Amino acid sequence: MFSLKPPRPTFRSYLLPPPQTDDKINSEPKIKKLEPVLLPGEIVVNEVSFVRKCIATDTSQYDLWGKLICSNFKISFITDDPMPLQRFHYRNLLLGEHDVPLTCIEQIVTVNDHKRKQKVLGPNQKLKFNPTELIIYCKDFRIVRFRFDESGPESAKKVCLAIAHYSQPTDLQLLFAFEYVGKKYHNSATKINGIPSGGGSGAVGGSNQKTPFFETYSDWDREIKRTGASGWRVCSINEGYMISTCLPEYFVVPSSLADQDLKIFSHSFVGRRMPLWCWSHSNGSALVRMALIKDVLQQRKIDQRICNAITKSHPQRSDVYKSDLDKTLPNIQEIQAAFVKLKQLCVNEPFEETEEKWLSSLENTRWLEYVRAFLKHSAELVYILESRHLSVVLQEEEGRDLSCIVASLVQVMLDPHFRTITGFQSLIQKEWVMAGYQFLDRCNHLKRSEKESPLFLLFLDATWQLLEQYPAAFEFSETYLAVLYDSTRISLFGTFLFNSPHQREFAISKNIQLGDEKGLKFPSVWDWSLQFTAKDRTLFHNPLYIGKSTPCIQNGSVKSFKRTKKSYSSTLRGMPGSLRNGIISDPDLVPRRNSLILKAKPDPPPPPTSQDHGAEQYFREWFSKPADLHGVILPHVSGTHVKLWKLCYFRWVPEAQIHLGGFITAFHKLSLLADEVDALSRTLRQHRAGSLDAGHAGPDESRMYFRVSAHATPGTPDFLSSAFPFSPVGNLCRRSISGTPLSKFLSGAKIWLSTETLANED
Amino acid sequence: MPPGAGPFKGGFPAAPRGKSPAPRARGRGFPSAFRPPRPCHVMLPRQPARGGGRRAVARGGAAAGGGPWRGRSGAREASSLATAVAPGPRVSSMASAPTSKYNSHSLENESIKRTSRDGVNWDLSEAVPRLPGETRITDKEVIYICPFNGPIKGRVYITNYRLYLRSLETDSALILDVPLGVISRIEKMGGATSRGENSYGLDITCKDMRNLRFALKQEGHSRRDMFEILTRYAFPLAHSLPIFAFLNEEKFNVDGWTVYNPVEEYRRQGLPNHHWRITFINKCYELCDTYPALLVVPYRASDDDLRRVATFRSRNRIPFSGSDFPDHLACPWNVLSWIHPENKTVIVRCSQPLVGMSGKRNKDDEKYLDVIRETNRQISKLTIYDARPNVNAVANKATGGGYESDDAYHNAELFFLDIHNIHVMRESLKKVKDIVYPNVEESHWLSSLESTHWLEHIKLVLTGAIQVADRVSSGKSSVLVHCSDGWDRTAQLTSLAMLMLDSFYRSIEGFEILVQKEWISFGHKFASRIGHGDKNHADADRSPIFLQFIDCVWQMSKQFPTAFEFNERFLITILDHLYSCRFGTFLYNCESAREKQKVTERTVSLWSLINSNKDKFKNPFYTKEINRVLYPVASMRHLELWVNYYIRWNPRIKQQQPNPVEQRYVELLALRDEYIQRLEELQLASSAKLPDPSTSPAGPSQMMPHVRTHF
Repeated sequence: MFSLKPPRPTFRSYLLPPPQTDDKINSEPKIKKLEPVLLPGEIVVNEVSFVRKCIATDTSQYDLWGKLICSNFKISFITDDPMPLQRFHYRNLLLGEHDVPLTCIEQIVTVNDHKRKQKVLGPNQKLKFNPTELIIYCKDFRIVRFRFDESGPESAKKVCLAIAHYSQPTDLQLLFAFEYVGKKYHNSATKINGIPSGGGSGAVGGSNQKTPFFETYSDWDREIKRTGASGWRVCSINEGYMISTCLPEYFVVPSSLADQDLKIFSHSFVGRRMPLWCWSHSNGSALVRMALIKDVLQQRKIDQRICNAITKSHPQRSDVYKSDLDKTLPNIQEIQAAFVKLKQLCVNEPFEETEEKWLSSLENTRWLEYVRAFLKHSAELVYILESRHLSVVLQEEEGRDLSCIVASLVQVMLDPHFRTITGFQSLIQKEWVMAGYQFLDRCNHLKRSEKESPLFLLFLDATWQLLEQYPAAFEFSETYLAVLYDSTRISLFGTFLFNSPHQREFAISKNIQLGDEKGLKFPSVWDWSLQFTAKDRTLFHNPLYIGKSTPCIQNGSVKSFKRTKKSYSSTLRGMPGSLRNGIISDPDLVPRRNSLILKAKPDPPPPPTSQDHGAEQYFREWFSKPADLHGVILPHVSGTHVKLWKLCYFRWVPEAQIHLGGFITAFHKLSLLADEVDALSRTLRQHRAGSLDAGHAGPDESRMYFRVSAHATPGTPDFLSSAFPFSPVGNLCRRSISGTPLSKFLSGAKIWLSTETLANED
Repeated sequence: MPPGAGPFKGGFPAAPRGKSPAPRARGRGFPSAFRPPRPCHVMLPRQPARGGGRRAVARGGAAAGGGPWRGRSGAREASSLATAVAPGPRVSSMASAPTSKYNSHSLENESIKRTSRDGVNWDLSEAVPRLPGETRITDKEVIYICPFNGPIKGRVYITNYRLYLRSLETDSALILDVPLGVISRIEKMGGATSRGENSYGLDITCKDMRNLRFALKQEGHSRRDMFEILTRYAFPLAHSLPIFAFLNEEKFNVDGWTVYNPVEEYRRQGLPNHHWRITFINKCYELCDTYPALLVVPYRASDDDLRRVATFRSRNRIPFSGSDFPDHLACPWNVLSWIHPENKTVIVRCSQPLVGMSGKRNKDDEKYLDVIRETNRQISKLTIYDARPNVNAVANKATGGGYESDDAYHNAELFFLDIHNIHVMRESLKKVKDIVYPNVEESHWLSSLESTHWLEHIKLVLTGAIQVADRVSSGKSSVLVHCSDGWDRTAQLTSLAMLMLDSFYRSIEGFEILVQKEWISFGHKFASRIGHGDKNHADADRSPIFLQFIDCVWQMSKQFPTAFEFNERFLITILDHLYSCRFGTFLYNCESAREKQKVTERTVSLWSLINSNKDKFKNPFYTKEINRVLYPVASMRHLELWVNYYIRWNPRIKQQQPNPVEQRYVELLALRDEYIQRLEELQLASSAKLPDPSTSPAGPSQMMPHVRTHF
């Protein structure tokens, strides 16, 4: 029926060993012949050999031969063949080169060429034909295709069914994280509790700061102190989730509200989600989020009490500004619909055919329009907080969807702390994980809910817009944002698996019968060492940010750029006299206010702001000055400024890849320079300390992925492309990626597989 | 190959035909065609295209002397203008106090800042910038109707070079500085009896994507003299006045006219060689007055052959009567633009063949193409890229043109590149202006942009150039590029392909040479396309072909941020002076006309301005690379509207200037230097008491040499 010895490709000369993988091969035990690499608790469910992974649609010459397995965590294609044409691979330690986590699978399509049949496989479905082809559509925009021409038809079918079954679990407890944690716990009972206990050091290479989880009283207390919020206190009435299962155990409320009052009020709120403090401006204005008051009779009274309490907590007793998000922003269904269209356009549809109407098609998805809407609304709230000195209350029915985006964006714009890696992670903990964003439903890990919506991605996209507009204001890079998005699709991290903190804690104690449940936790996504090597993690660092935390030498003494927490936003208005009229004489000579070179003395105190400044006026004035990257940053929201996040949406599209081009090539040069500056400053410090062994300033301390080294040839490394560090090679169901980018122009023929436009004919 | 062994008989240098050339200083005394007996370097004077005598530095400093209207100091003004970034049109809206701050990132020169800070006490004569040779004509109080900030009272000064407006409102710093060359049309708006505020005045349409409106008092025909003066100096050709470039007395320490020397440029490419020779057959522009004097043609094609071919490749004019009908004489032969250093495939350019309805053939032309094909020892077919859409090429047959048919040209493959003609491009750009000026179409920005088709045209031009570059770099075959006349789309395609293929052209000087060679010397009709000093704003010959080329270059520089030595400002400066008429660089339609007007002697080159202040135009990320072919991705997914050019007048859209990433990089460079200096000092201080610190691996003494070589 099929030959026992599958034909192996004999033509090999095109195979370029990826230059970067050498050290990896050496540093790791060589994978045994076609044996899957399994994590603790991972088991192989089914497997099939002699599978061909398709690399190009118009030729099979690059196809890889190997074994396809389905485990309870991932589908894995194991091969001895090196990847053709791929110059670089950013390796995730949890996943092999060809692996797809089950939670990342969007749709499974089986095809039988001969019978001309195809079927989208759901769970517990029967397959009446033997598949010759399997196409996996992934949630991270990849498309992977396997062919079973030489495989045993029965085992091929079994694997397809297994994938369909395991990728669509019916119960939360079936997610792999539970197996992993249980196994880890048992295996490591003798050690210090095995798994990373969730401390989640934000260590991304160098910095040792921990990401606060906001699971404890003290985390919240510290945040209150950090922001200088007087009039607010940590409230622990929800300890043990006695009040609400969708609130964290600890949260912050106005000091004037007593626990007893809060308990009474809580019944009136949807989901008993009473007002939660998010953040306070140095002027005392607070950002608060809360659910709607469902009790109509009590509504006015409670609302009044809450507002009064917030007003009391404001040092100037300012009023409260309410923002009803449900009325002003697109809802979650609309956002989901936009995302589906965007994905269809960017990934699924034929490249050439979408070219002509690309711009209007992109507009029709409405994705960018929604990103703009969130940025714009958040910027308006920044104005209220910053300029009008009013506290802002975000209102939403449940207060756990759009509020997450808006609350986070407002803080990213206002507080430079949240533009550091640790700060950004703490923001996600605070405003998403602990605030009860329903990751399980919104990511649709169980593939059954109608509640799917990419709100978290929308937030990352909006953050990317800010990063794009203020590239030196963030400690992290766009790679970090993309990797963070991908991490929501790996069913291992407690961070992104649950609908609420309560669900996470309850699930683990219920499922894993152990003595000390409290000590047992799912790994945190912030423990990046689980996914990436220290070297790879350095790609998270934005080289443009370097120098901010580096001491700057001035007048013979070294001064730190660290700012006191109160000064960051209040210094915004001070302008050097020469800039007042809005003219810069020479951009090369006038430094930005945060310039590395000419650090100005403390700025003059801000002129008094009149209360009747309109938002328009506020924005105009703000944009007329050079941005203080350590202060407030506001987004440009016009159509010409809000752009498509190409790295995220095009990284798996071979035709869209600019070989040896894209921003990464400038990033590369920046990194080299930043690395040098870093090294120099280290040497300087050592000199100052009188240390003789300056040699310790080795490359290991470097925070940059690209480093100055003696061997590196100047010029752009040939593995760089606009998709870096991702590589679209092997992501298929589209045209050939071989050769020059010209193939698409030169051959008029449209080689687009019929499988692309599959209708589900059962 | 022995001379004369080619398919043509009697191919040895022919004497210039007929009447003797007009006396001229250059190129005389050399054979009209130069055929080296061996592939050796031609021994030619360094600048055969230009005679001696001309001094790089412009005429004496007399102009900087007195005059009632001179700047604070003539020399200072001159140099400050020379260094001004976009010395052309300045930001239009330093308007009332709050809004003017939008322009904090704008590129302004110091004098403006000074005066605006001085408030009302500024001295009139001090504040108006003036070039040497620039003379004041008039000034007048007007109301400038700023589309972004509303009406602003100001005083307008008109010189023979510019229109300059300064706000008279104390809280406003608005400055307008518009070279008159930018003006395409001046209209009167409203009448003496018009009602409503500011309804009576002038509306000025500019070539650089904006309009200026001035309101004047209705009494006493107050706008009449302003209208007349503006018309007179903005359109000097209609009034028998010289274009300002001929009056400009600026001096630079570099002479931009020396940047391009065709012989040197061909020598850089390794020409002449076995297969290609340099010919002076056109040295008096008799054969073709739109081609340069010096051309590179196949070694095996004699000058007589060239003459015969020329009749077939030009339009229905006899080539030799060309000078009377300069507009109708296209590019008659395939001449070499670029040769691949290794595989020796070439890019050649010309105009369409005169096939006509009857399908006329020309044996000489067919043979000639075959000779070109054979120059690189490849037996493959010659690839002909006809830039036009297929239907247009067919339609051209009706007017005597056409394309190379399969049966006539056996050894050639013909592809059409679907690039539309100058009229389509002009209309497309008009639509772009409609959606960006004065207000940006916000509600449906992307679909509005799509409906202009501008990016689609950019895509087609880039796609065509990529194909040309790929053919040549892969060594598949030599490439012949033509459109109808061979001076619009052809120039775009060859120059962009060369930019992709040859990293030399990605340097500042290399790019200048590329423009000088493929555009200026090969007869892109700048005068007709731009309409320098010409009042006929509706002239159908006008078209933004060169702008489109610069846009393509910008798109490439966006995709390859480290590949170009120049930055965005360089490209914008070129475009500003494409219109300004301050320099002679882009004046006239072809080299012969420039010769006639002695442009290189009587005007200053734009490259003088740029090369004397190169640092301003440098891209800090530039990494010099040899032999790398750039393949941009010509996809709508990557092409963007060039906001910093097309929407630069709108203070609300204007993007951060300078580019924050670039700025940060420059800051880091400075920081690094500061650290290095500190280290050196520390080392000096410590070397007295400490052991030699240079033994430590990370010591600065090792770091620094490395540091310096790396960047």
